[in-house]
Amino acid sequence: MNRQRLAIDVGGTFVDFVSLDEETGEVRIEKSPSSGALEVRFFEGIDNLALDPAELQMIIHGSTLVINTIVQEKGAHIGLITTKGFRDVLELGRGNREEIYNLFYRPPKPLVERYLRLEVTERLDARGAIVTPLDEEEARRAIRQLKAEGVAGIAVIFLHAYINPAHEERMRDLIREEFPEAELSISSEICREWREFERSSTTALNVYTKPKLSKYLSAIQRELRRRRYGGTLNIMQSSGGITSLRAAQEGPIRTTVSGPAGGVIGVAALGRVLDMNNLVAADVGGTTFDVALISEGRPLERAEHRINRRPVLQPTIDIVSIGAGGGSIAWLDEAKGLKIGPQSVEAEPGPACFGLGGKRATVTDAQLLLGYLDPDYYLGERMRLSREKAQRVVQEQVATPLDMGLLDATAGIVHLANMNMAYAIRNITIERGHDPREFSLVCYGGGGGLFAGFLLNELEAASAIVPLNPATFSAWGLLNADYREDFVRTYLTPFEDITAERLKLELAELEAELRARFSEYGIAASQTVIRFQAAMRYHGQEHSVIVPILAEDFDDELKSLRRRLDALHEKTYALALPASAAEIVNLQASILGVTKKPVLKRMKAQPSRDALKGGRKIAIRGYGANLDALVYDRAKLPAGAEITGAAIVEEWTSTTLILPDQGATVDEFGNLIIKRVES
Amino acid sequence: MSEVDPITMQVIRSALKATADEMMISLIKTAHNPLIYEVQDFGLAITNQRGEMLAEGSGLPGFMGCLGPTVQSGLRALGAAGYGEGDIVLANVPYDTGTHISDTAVYMPIFYQGELVAFSALMAHWADIGGKTPGGWCPDTTDIHQEGLIFDHDKLVEAGQVNQTFMRFILKNVRFPELVHGDLNAMIAACRTGAKRYVALCARYGADTIQAAMDQVFDQSERMMRAKISEIPDGSYAASIMMDHDGVEIDKPYKLAVTVDIDGDAMRVDWTGTADTVSGPTNHPFIGTVALAQTVLKSLTMPHDPMNHGHLRPLTVTAPDNTAVNPLYPAPTDSYGYVGEMIIHLMVKALSKAIPERCPACTYQMFGCVFYRMDPRHGKPFIFIEPLDGGGGAFPHADGPNALVFVGDGNAPNTPTEVIEGHYPLRVRRHTFNLEGAGAGKYRGGLGVIREYEMLEDNILIQTMNENTINPPWGLYGGGDAGVSRLIAWAGSDKEEEITQRVYLYGPFNKGDVVSQRSTGGGGWGDPRERDPKLIEYDRRNGFALADET
Repeated sequence: MNRQRLAIDVGGTFVDFVSLDEETGEVRIEKSPSSGALEVRFFEGIDNLALDPAELQMIIHGSTLVINTIVQEKGAHIGLITTKGFRDVLELGRGNREEIYNLFYRPPKPLVERYLRLEVTERLDARGAIVTPLDEEEARRAIRQLKAEGVAGIAVIFLHAYINPAHEERMRDLIREEFPEAELSISSEICREWREFERSSTTALNVYTKPKLSKYLSAIQRELRRRRYGGTLNIMQSSGGITSLRAAQEGPIRTTVSGPAGGVIGVAALGRVLDMNNLVAADVGGTTFDVALISEGRPLERAEHRINRRPVLQPTIDIVSIGAGGGSIAWLDEAKGLKIGPQSVEAEPGPACFGLGGKRATVTDAQLLLGYLDPDYYLGERMRLSREKAQRVVQEQVATPLDMGLLDATAGIVHLANMNMAYAIRNITIERGHDPREFSLVCYGGGGGLFAGFLLNELEAASAIVPLNPATFSAWGLLNADYREDFVRTYLTPFEDITAERLKLELAELEAELRARFSEYGIAASQTVIRFQAAMRYHGQEHSVIVPILAEDFDDELKSLRRRLDALHEKTYALALPASAAEIVNLQASILGVTKKPVLKRMKAQPSRDALKGGRKIAIRGYGANLDALVYDRAKLPAGAEITGAAIVEEWTSTTLILPDQGATVDEFGNLIIKRVES
Repeated sequence: MSEVDPITMQVIRSALKATADEMMISLIKTAHNPLIYEVQDFGLAITNQRGEMLAEGSGLPGFMGCLGPTVQSGLRALGAAGYGEGDIVLANVPYDTGTHISDTAVYMPIFYQGELVAFSALMAHWADIGGKTPGGWCPDTTDIHQEGLIFDHDKLVEAGQVNQTFMRFILKNVRFPELVHGDLNAMIAACRTGAKRYVALCARYGADTIQAAMDQVFDQSERMMRAKISEIPDGSYAASIMMDHDGVEIDKPYKLAVTVDIDGDAMRVDWTGTADTVSGPTNHPFIGTVALAQTVLKSLTMPHDPMNHGHLRPLTVTAPDNTAVNPLYPAPTDSYGYVGEMIIHLMVKALSKAIPERCPACTYQMFGCVFYRMDPRHGKPFIFIEPLDGGGGAFPHADGPNALVFVGDGNAPNTPTEVIEGHYPLRVRRHTFNLEGAGAGKYRGGLGVIREYEMLEDNILIQTMNENTINPPWGLYGGGDAGVSRLIAWAGSDKEEEITQRVYLYGPFNKGDVVSQRSTGGGGWGDPRERDPKLIEYDRRNGFALADET
């Protein structure tokens, strides 16, 4: 019986590997740099963990390949076919000026140049009825023209195909006849939502990224087969659920947020174990800081997101990325105002203290100078940090020009970085209708532990949790993901016009589609969960809220569904209009194939004396310049250990700082739980 | 007060910016009116107790600069002692607030330990203000009283209690009372959010420290702005244009004229030479004229720095009384936006003589169409407003951006065809680039848009917006001028008619009739003969060649 599971998470600086032995609960981690050919890195990590693919039960892969292809604009040469009169939709976009003070503002250049966007006579109306039939001769001419132009793929988007895909499906057949080697996506297979620009963008991005992801995954699949791996290669999707290799190859656009999604799923899983329902997931890396919310046990999701300013209509965990992290640069603007980020130093050469040629003062340099980091124990002694180099850049670039002492300047850099993150989390939380004081923070990523204590105080959150191995937590999170398929269909209907019976039929249709897609996973029906929701709004409003549809709604002719709309609207927009007419905008279904979850290994209680490594002096703005902090070795901290701030807890991939007015306990799973101490 | 250290100063500055952002989140989340949550037709700011801006939220350019003067006019009217803790005040006299009465300001004095320390203020377009045209944007008023309810620093909330008589009076006098009520509650909540956060900052850092820190920030921002202005060559730079008409005297073009003087590290903007106050509602209140000058200055010098009072100190704006950019009571101002749009572009044109590398050519001007049917006897009532996107002026280093909304509509997105057809008795036949009307040049103007609608039902009327049909958007440094935005009524039929004038209650259009909107492009930049062959090839390949030929 194969009992090893493996998760592989590709980040900007490192590829993280986490293996789990299902029987013993043993977790092992490995990191390798993410530079070079990822196919090679993939197997390097497996070898370093001394794992034999033939003995693996399951592999879950979080990949940044699709998002990188879009951001670097290195996708395929593709064409687009659309309804007559609408070839420019992809380039017209929505016309809004996102930067109102920028006289040189312009939208991103179109993914497909105009001469490769062709029109075909056909037309549906808003109810899906055929106004003008598809002109097949014209369609064939368009395909041949694109073939002659040498495109690698074709995206097809017809107006109102979200409600009736017949013309798009016929077009797909014609392309397969005329140009079988072309990569191909029709919009109705990618998303069934209205708004032609966003649907065009999503569909075009899908074709654009298909060849690259396909090639990469096929290479890995081949090598896994050669090494006699008998399980499935599962890919993380933006939704936080995993999907099959084949589905990812068909729909790469589902995987744009594949990387950070793992961590959020991990936070939700941790919340279940700790019985905590409201959590902020804060992933602090070298260059970015990703924030997501878990509310009532589930990650908040959104229907649309943007990559490189291009819209993507796919169910996605609602993750906000901010340019802040250990590598954020401290700099002075023209009036000598001190700013932190959003620019950061590249992974190589990194902060000045790495001694690899970095010339800019960063947050990491400041953290070192304040005593939070041990220069001889960075990355578990894999790297020595240079205080001299850090001191020189902070002195020259910040302290001297501001006419401040080195220590004040250094503590100021860290303080400002903390405040920026706290404001960001606060606004993200409030924007989504929540109060940060009702949440606990889970801080992970390499830098999470150094920010946790500050964020806890600044946001007045309930507690801050730093999980074990925070630097590889996102990869661990992947091991907690369920299989998932989503179906969102625009269904604009006055609520008054819909009966429980009709809604049931509509949902049954969605369910049948999802179950059909799910059949390839071979998951027993008893292991699946299906969830329905509707985007609903009051008549005349643009904003809608996502309302869960529950079994009880069918027993009282949807009255409880309507009440749920009012309650959710009140929570989100501080307004309920129970007497106002309502409408359904779309119906959403998702199916989960529940996987076996890793069981967290409980730690044995044991004396903690040898966990104390010693002490050192640290400085914290607002607390003092010469504070005594005890330093602990996290690997040796037993369950139940209590730590009084100021303290530092070190592990090989990360360091956690506990402030003087805080205390921390180690729970039975090894999580560090930091709380404020009431004075 | 001793000097505040640079870290505290920066923390307080960021905290105030975060406070303004939090006010915005509060407003957008709870407003009921799409002009607020979708078009973001609003501005927000925190000012000090003197009405000087500490931090702005985002929103439309120009609004933010109106809020400080609005508070200052209140301080003049009521005196600092006239404000009490928990009061919330309404103000929309346009000569005090800068735009039109639909943009009613709602603001709140903030007290800490019994002292007036700051104001939270915002201004948002109301769903209706009770004027002669629903929704506010009267095309033909001749005095302010026709435009709706006027508030002159009146307290809707006193010591935390809503004055219910006043509220009932307002709601009875507007067309969409539910929307207005919801929006008012949202605006009150946003002001209170700002006040609450400001008071928390006072408790943490001390009101005096915040004052001292922000005085230092003002000085810092002023120094930075002066340094930026010093980079602009000294001189006197002028530009002017004849506008089409004021909506009332439709055969009478009127002049806008500006002179921008750069003198060392100071900028002076003077509107002498501009026409007297016009008869129709296209007058632009002076406070707004100043605010737009601030917007242009910021856009040209430091677009990314969060704005405060200090940035504005090096700028002086003057305009003679009783002109189209400085109207006095009782001049109508409801369609002020046509002039507002041109104020921005004229200033950029004037400065293009000094800093050509930072100045784009002129963008297409406000253009669009409203389709509506109000009388239920003719079918289900509806209203669909479509400000059509158009071409941006060419940049000194690149072609102009295609198909963006005019500057004054900021971040407002267009309506997708699939959504239009889902909601209204219209079918869009075409939504493509308008290949005509972009100015040629070394860099050509951005392209305008064609959107063509077929009526699916009878008795539909239209109202249009259009400007600068006599003097279209200009090119710079040898670049060609743009064309004229136009609407083709009954397109493709015997009744076909080209409309460039502003019309309202126009029609009716019946089933099968076609209306085609065609916005123009932007002006070009530089001599077309210097156009890069690669750009010519790009245009040829994509069918944009027509834009090079015009």
